[in-house]
Order: sequence, then C-alpha cells, then structure tokens
Amino acid sequence: MKHRLFLVALVSLVSLIVSPQLMASSEQTQSQIVETEQTDSPSALTYLNNMKQAYNNLNYTLLYLNTAQNQIQPKQLIHGVIDGKRITYFTYLNGAMRESLQFDGKISFYQQGSQPYSLLSHQDQSVFADITNFDFKSGNRNYEYIILGKDRIAGKKAIAIRMISKDNYRYSYIVWLDLDSYLPLRLDVIDKSNVILEQTMVVSMKISNTVSPWIKQLSIKATPDILNLSQNSAAEMADWNVDWLPTGFKVIKDDQHKLMMHDTDPVSYLMLNDGIVSVSVYISNKKALLADQKNIIQRGATLIYTKQINSVEVNIIGEIPLVTAEKIAASVKLVH
Amino acid sequence: MKEYSQDLSSLIDNEFDDQEIIDAVLEDVELQQQFSRYQLIGDVLREESDGLDLRVDVTDSVMAAIAGEMQDDNVVPLATPEKQDTNVVPFMKRFGQYAIAASVAGVVVVSSLIVNQDDATDASSTPVLNTVPFGGAAAPVSLQATPAQTENDIKERNERLEALMKDHQLQLQTKP
Repeated sequence: MKHRLFLVALVSLVSLIVSPQLMASSEQTQSQIVETEQTDSPSALTYLNNMKQAYNNLNYTLLYLNTAQNQIQPKQLIHGVIDGKRITYFTYLNGAMRESLQFDGKISFYQQGSQPYSLLSHQDQSVFADITNFDFKSGNRNYEYIILGKDRIAGKKAIAIRMISKDNYRYSYIVWLDLDSYLPLRLDVIDKSNVILEQTMVVSMKISNTVSPWIKQLSIKATPDILNLSQNSAAEMADWNVDWLPTGFKVIKDDQHKLMMHDTDPVSYLMLNDGIVSVSVYISNKKALLADQKNIIQRGATLIYTKQINSVEVNIIGEIPLVTAEKIAASVKLVH
Repeated sequence: MKEYSQDLSSLIDNEFDDQEIIDAVLEDVELQQQFSRYQLIGDVLREESDGLDLRVDVTDSVMAAIAGEMQDDNVVPLATPEKQDTNVVPFMKRFGQYAIAASVAGVVVVSSLIVNQDDATDASSTPVLNTVPFGGAAAPVSLQATPAQTENDIKERNERLEALMKDHQLQLQTKP
C-alpha cells in the first residue's frame, strides 16, 4: 500500500515537472501519504488531542484516587453530554458528603450541614480538565511530548505520555490514557528531579453510550441560588503588577477584592495562567512581621509562598516550583 | 351593675315587673346584652335552643381589636419579610458557604496545619506542610520561628493563610 502510494507520488512529481497543471492533484496525493503514515503510529500529540476529545464528549463514570503527601482521597466523577451540553457530577467517597455539579455555565456545591450555593463557572473544574483542556499544539512551545510506552492502569491497556517542561519554571507531567477510549487514567505531577508531587489515579472506569440516569435527573433539578462574586470585589484593577512572567504565562484576572475571612481592606489580586496551571498573586499591606523574610508551604504540587518587601506582603499560591514564585514575587511593581 | 343582675334574672323568669328597672335596662346597652345572654343560657338549659343561632357575636370586639392594632401599626405584614437584596448576604453566611468550594476542591489548610503542629516537638515553631523535598534536596523546606512569635501570631497567620487558600480556590472556580 505504502509502496504504491509512494509510486503514485513519484509519478505525480515527475508529471509535475512535465506539466504544471497537475500540481493540484500531486498535492492531494502527497497529503494522502502523510495521513497513511500517521495512522500507522500516532504521535504523542495525536494521542493527547484524542484524550481531549474523549474527556469532553464521552459518557463515563470514573472512580479515582488523589494522592498528595501520603494523603489519599477516593473520589468519583460522572460525566455526560445532554443535548450537546456537558454535565459533570463530583463527589468525595469518604468522610462528609461533599458534592458538586457543573452544568450549563454553573457549578453548584453541596455539603452536609451547609447551605448549598452556585457560582457562575464556564471552565471545566473536573479532575483532569486542566490537562485535557490544554492547547497541546501551541503548548509545545513550553512542553515537549514523549511517548514513554505501554502500561496497564485500572485493568486497561494504557499508553504513557510525558509532557516535559522546557524550562525550570513549571512542573512536568506524565499522563496515562486508555488505548481504547483515550480517556485519561492517571496523571502524575513531577518536579525536575522526577519526584512525584501529586498523583491522580483512576481505579475504575465505566463508559456508556447513554447519559447516566442519575446525572440526567440532576440536570433537570433546580440549582441553588447563584452567589455573585463580583459584588464582593472592587471592580478596579490591581494597584500592583508583575514585571516578569515565565514564557507562556498570561495575566487572566486583575482586580481588587476582599478576602472572605476578615473584613479587611481589599487586596490587589492577579491570576496568572499558562493553559494548565493557575497561579494567584495577592499583594496587601503587611499585617505582622514574619520571623523570616519569607515563608514557604508546599502541599502536593501547590505552593504557598509569602514574601515581605518593606511594608508590603506578597502571597503567591499555585502549582509552580519555588523558583518561579520567587522570581514573580521579586518582580512585583506598583502601577503608576 | 351587679345589683341589676339579680333583677334581670327575675325579669327573665317573669317574676319582676318593676317599670323602673325595665326602663333602666332599656337604656343600658350592657344590661341589654347581659339580658340577651341570660335568655340564651336559659334556652340552652331548657333544651329549647333548636334552630337558635348559638354563635356569640364577636364581630364588634374583633373589629375594635383590629382598630386598636391599626393605630399601633399601620402596616400589617401578612406576607413573608421582604426578600433580601443579594448584595447584603450576611458576611458570616457568605464565608461559611464559600468554605465549601475550598473543601470540595480538597484543600483545607488549617486542618493540616493543626496536624503538623501536633507533631512538632517545639510548640513555637511555625507550621510546615512540606514533606516533599525541593529540587531533590533531602531536607524539607522549613522555617523555624524565633521565640518572639507568640501562639497568637501563629494563629493569626494560619487564619490568613486559610483565607488566602480559600480565596484562591474560589478564584479558580470562577476563572475566565
């Protein structure tokens, strides 16, 4: 087959020299060859894009474990598509009932003993969403994709793909996906020394042709009232900005708002995003002097970094290495 | 008034025909009502009340009571209290609710801080969550507090960190 197509290509190339009118048909033949080669051994990029399609379009139920620093949490995710609209139901399987439902631009939270509420939310908040919604094609500026090999996860044949950061300013990932359905089965967040910081592992996967009756029923139920966050924030821009960002990061939120807990002065807030991780930067007046000039808390891949500069305190929260947080904090500048 | 009660009784029993008392009764509304009630009681006792309207007429007293109320308060809210403007959700309620977003997202800082503090041998040390080494280093990133830091300082610091963490989770839920 391949030989024949090659011959065809050769022939058309020859004919191209002979007659320029045949140019169009020769291009067609050449593109056929490229396609044939791709189906023989899909690239890492093809697998990743297939994963994106599967995660957003299939009806499935996943039982998975979240592991960070020796703490394991079993959780459940049910996903379906109703009339072209995605619906995701999430719950903790252990401890107090904690559930959320995302459908039709809203996410609703339910917890035992608390009043439920909804937020306007347009981005998928489910477990693998940050990875699956990544624009892999343009993302190869910051990540390199390498197929590690085949493996077996949750009883399924899987393929492992490594997304290696091209710099030291972000973490790398290894994602395992089901070779039949292309759904993600496992995700490891690793630092540059290959230490696993956080792991999400599917232990049971069920795919169905129709939407689960349970979430179909949920989709027609009335959701709790929407709480509007913007009412709590002064719409102005932050008084501060950052001079330095790692490549690929953009400021996607810029405002001043009050923190929920204390009725304090509003803090300047920036949200940075590189397509996978979102980082919060808070700039406020210094309340109390820290024993050291900085304070570092790490939980799984999430870092909480505090730096006090003169009378100002900068807090950075997100799934980034310490070196990135340090550089961002050092570049904070007052907006004139 | 009391003195007439006896006379009324006699009048009802047709044992009394003092014109003076009858005139007094005719002029006194209260006595007329009492007379009416006595007659009714008599009828009931004699089981002659069939077909009689036994309902005591309370309309006047109710109307009077309502009139009194109206003077006290012109607006009588029968419906539920006015719907609260969404702008004025009580602060504590709001905080309590937002706490769910953080806990559903699975990051509750303070509880882990407490766990870590229990483990710490030195009570004055600041909480350190990290057990994952940075950059391949064997030692966890940690911070030893100076003795100057009181427990109250640590508590305030933890509260602030939790507020930041919760806000971060909330911002993630509503990111554009």
